[in-house]
Amino acid sequence: MTLHGLIFYLLASVILASTGMAITRRNLVHAVLYLVFSFIGSALLFCLFGAPFLALLQVIIYAGAIMVVFLFIVMMVKPDLSEGTVLPLRQLLPMVLFGFMYAVVGVLVAVTDPAGRAVLETAVAKPTEFGHYVFARHYLAVEIISLILLIGLMGALHLGREKVPKEPEEPS
Amino acid sequence: MNWLLFTPEIYYLLVSLLFLGASMGGRATPGTDYIAALSAAAVGMAVTAAAVKLEGSLFAGSYRIDLLSQVFKVILSSALFLVLCICAQLNGIRERHRRDFYCLLFLCTVAMMMLVSSVHLISIYLSLELSSYSLYVLVALRKNANLGLEAGIKYFIIGIFASAMMFFGMGMVYASTGAGYLEELTEVLPGFVHDPLLMLGLLLTLSGFFFKLAVFPFHFWAPDVYQGSMNQVAAYIATASKVAAIGILLRVIAVLGEGNAYLIQVLAVLSIVSMTLGNLAAIVEHDVKRLLAYSTIAHAGYVLIGVLSASAGGYSGTVFYAMALLLMKFTVFLVVVQVASAGGNLRIEQLAGLHRRSPLLAMALLVAAFSLAGIPPTVGFTGKFLVFTAAMQKGYFTLVLIGMINVVISLYYYLMMVRAAYLLKPDEALPDLHLSLPLRTLTGALVALMLVAGSFPYPFIQAANAAVRALM
Repeated sequence: MTLHGLIFYLLASVILASTGMAITRRNLVHAVLYLVFSFIGSALLFCLFGAPFLALLQVIIYAGAIMVVFLFIVMMVKPDLSEGTVLPLRQLLPMVLFGFMYAVVGVLVAVTDPAGRAVLETAVAKPTEFGHYVFARHYLAVEIISLILLIGLMGALHLGREKVPKEPEEPS
Repeated sequence: MNWLLFTPEIYYLLVSLLFLGASMGGRATPGTDYIAALSAAAVGMAVTAAAVKLEGSLFAGSYRIDLLSQVFKVILSSALFLVLCICAQLNGIRERHRRDFYCLLFLCTVAMMMLVSSVHLISIYLSLELSSYSLYVLVALRKNANLGLEAGIKYFIIGIFASAMMFFGMGMVYASTGAGYLEELTEVLPGFVHDPLLMLGLLLTLSGFFFKLAVFPFHFWAPDVYQGSMNQVAAYIATASKVAAIGILLRVIAVLGEGNAYLIQVLAVLSIVSMTLGNLAAIVEHDVKRLLAYSTIAHAGYVLIGVLSASAGGYSGTVFYAMALLLMKFTVFLVVVQVASAGGNLRIEQLAGLHRRSPLLAMALLVAAFSLAGIPPTVGFTGKFLVFTAAMQKGYFTLVLIGMINVVISLYYYLMMVRAAYLLKPDEALPDLHLSLPLRTLTGALVALMLVAGSFPYPFIQAANAAVRALM
């Protein structure tokens, strides 16, 4: 095994473990922190694959901004932190079933055609070129995203406001 | 760049931003706001109709203006106008949320207009998201927070699931072909017919549209969301968002085109399952909106028959069906909104004695239900006829047969509604329903239009034919 491979498997196991922890924690703040680890792990993976820009974006956007928003949400909705298993058995069963099916299919694919591979073309672009491309060719998309964020804001305001202690129902 | 091509979208965007600004300041003035929204929608219809002949391409080719997109924009703007017509008594939401409501409705219409014009994977995905997100918030706006929030969250979770699958699929398509524009896809697709990665990618990409159209296996949200949202919002989801989904589905399927036997087979299976499941589930429903939701799922199946015929006849039949769906579904919802005037949900039993309380509404319900079931000479019959004929020409006999059997099954629950309105006696005497003069005119016009478009469909069929010529 090369050093490259060694680092890859090390990172992959860290990501898997921290994601597994994140989705099984009852305490949401702990879950968010584990998710940050997982995101930083994937950023390192991107770095390993030779995409430092993507890695930086991953850290800034996912591990940074989105996780902060998650923490805000956790503080805003004050979730019920009662003890108990995360998922009742009724919901766990289909999950296990589908996971098992996925594993079986994966093993079958690997066993029947060990040499099979799909080669995807890599595109290398500097951040400047990427920015030029996005804002010259796809500025409609950028504008649509800004509208989506606006609606997200309206939705969040609306949902947040509903939590305000009982205000008298307006006569209908 | 010719900004004139973008006029309808800019107009609707400006109106929605005005309502957004108004919602942030000033006291709520429901009467004035309603008049403003209604007239803005009426002007918008005129703007969209004036732009119907425009053609061109915008935003570095990712946005196409052609007759197909413009016809769908006209249908969408009429849908918005019609839905606003029944919003005079918005009992379902708080007074201070009314302006948000209008803002979101207009914004959602912009999104759907952009959706039917998009020809690049990214703009398709984003405009679909924009329209979905506005609908999530609209559903959750309901005053009865338990109903509205629950439906909104369910809609949101199923929606992001479908959208994640769609994005994953688009990633696969792009990874295997390197093509983002639909035109490029048309060129490279023949070389990739046996590429499993691409086929899987295409199927997953379609799942986003299936979610919008409530096709099996993305139909779970429909009954709960219809039940949980305000009657007016449910009407909007049942009409406008279905029309937009049909528009973009036509565009995408026209690209994947003929000769893609595998995809056609999958669509046929989905169509059969949707029809059968929707119709069978609707039989046992007693809540009118849930029933309509299942009927929507069944109708999505009929629409798919036209789409998968992948011929000029099939496509134009589908466009006709989209117009028919708007008319029939909207008329039923108009009745629902008027009968459940307090803004609550309506059970079939509550329709009892409707023909005494308001003969006009009862007749509208009768014609609309017959049209949904597909009984001549209504527009629903003509739509089904066109779609089934196109499928027969392609030799999909079994599919059409199953479709016909489903039509018979669906008769049962549509007649249940009619029976309640005409034959059942209410437990207690209910007061007469008085409609305002404009509303009476609108109801009469809708009934007349459903009958006229059913008996003399040629102008509409010609419009549909002209629209799909852009696809061939």
